[in-house]
Amino acid sequence: MEIKIMKNILDRNQNKANEVREMLKEKRVLMVNLISAPGSGKTSLLEYTIEALNNNVKIGVIEGDVTTDLDAQRLKKYNIPIVVINTEGGCHLDSHSISKVLPEFDLEKLDVLFIENVGNLICPSGFDLGESFKVAMTSTTEGDDKPVKYPLLFREAGAVILNKIDLMKYTNFNYNHFLKDLRQINPLIPLFPLSCLTNEGMDKWLEWISDKILAMS
Amino acid sequence: MHEISIAEDLQKIILKISCQNDLKKITKVNLQFGEMAQIVPDIFRIAFEESSKHTIFEGAMLDMEILPVKLKCEVCHHEFFIKKSGSYSCSNCHSNNIEIIQGKEILIKSIEGE
Repeated sequence: MEIKIMKNILDRNQNKANEVREMLKEKRVLMVNLISAPGSGKTSLLEYTIEALNNNVKIGVIEGDVTTDLDAQRLKKYNIPIVVINTEGGCHLDSHSISKVLPEFDLEKLDVLFIENVGNLICPSGFDLGESFKVAMTSTTEGDDKPVKYPLLFREAGAVILNKIDLMKYTNFNYNHFLKDLRQINPLIPLFPLSCLTNEGMDKWLEWISDKILAMS
Repeated sequence: MHEISIAEDLQKIILKISCQNDLKKITKVNLQFGEMAQIVPDIFRIAFEESSKHTIFEGAMLDMEILPVKLKCEVCHHEFFIKKSGSYSCSNCHSNNIEIIQGKEILIKSIEGE
């Protein structure tokens, strides 16, 4: 006997993500799901972004990490609400883990909540967290083939950040290849080439994310 | 690695549907994965076998159908298949206004048992 089902196996995650998204929309909080490989510069980007916007915007951070709170320690100096989720070996965050920690934030007093997902380009792309949009981050030292290798993330993201452009001259990263591949997968996606070390290109990213925060509030 | 969490959620669905339909033994599980879902079939099979241990679907056959990426142009309504990292522009009118209509699925199609 065959029972027809035709159901999304990740329905449980999707339903919770929809709930989270609806709730954050009501509270007018923008939630940004930052996804990259380990070492691309997610925490450095957050450091710079928080430092630049902290006076005008109320920011919270969810730090997803396999283990340790090292990234959260780096952000402590900004005196903003931060919650760490240790996945204890898990390769991605899911919407249930986000929903569980949201009560730890006073959402009435937040404009934007950044999620630093677990460093990984594959698994986090498949799990909706209820975010407003994903930001895909990669860096010149990882090579120029990331959009082709991980099309789901680069197709689904709301923006792409290319970090470490100051190091490009020391690598074999071909910017034209990268751009051509990215445009093939996602012709219209905003791209921010920048350096978290020298701050080159940061102004455009800050302008873009500030507009998004403003549009939600 | 996300194969493990997907297998865990699949286990819950199989057990719930089996209970609702009064099935005592599951012999086959039929799934559909889109090519963009980035699921590695060999790893998924191991995760599935682990999640089935000591349950009514232990030893069940696992069929994984992989669906290619299919796009639809929002402008001229042309539908076409592409390779995983192919061009997401319309092959007919070159518009960038494209919808993915197939290729992201992580679906349970059916279960077989008695």
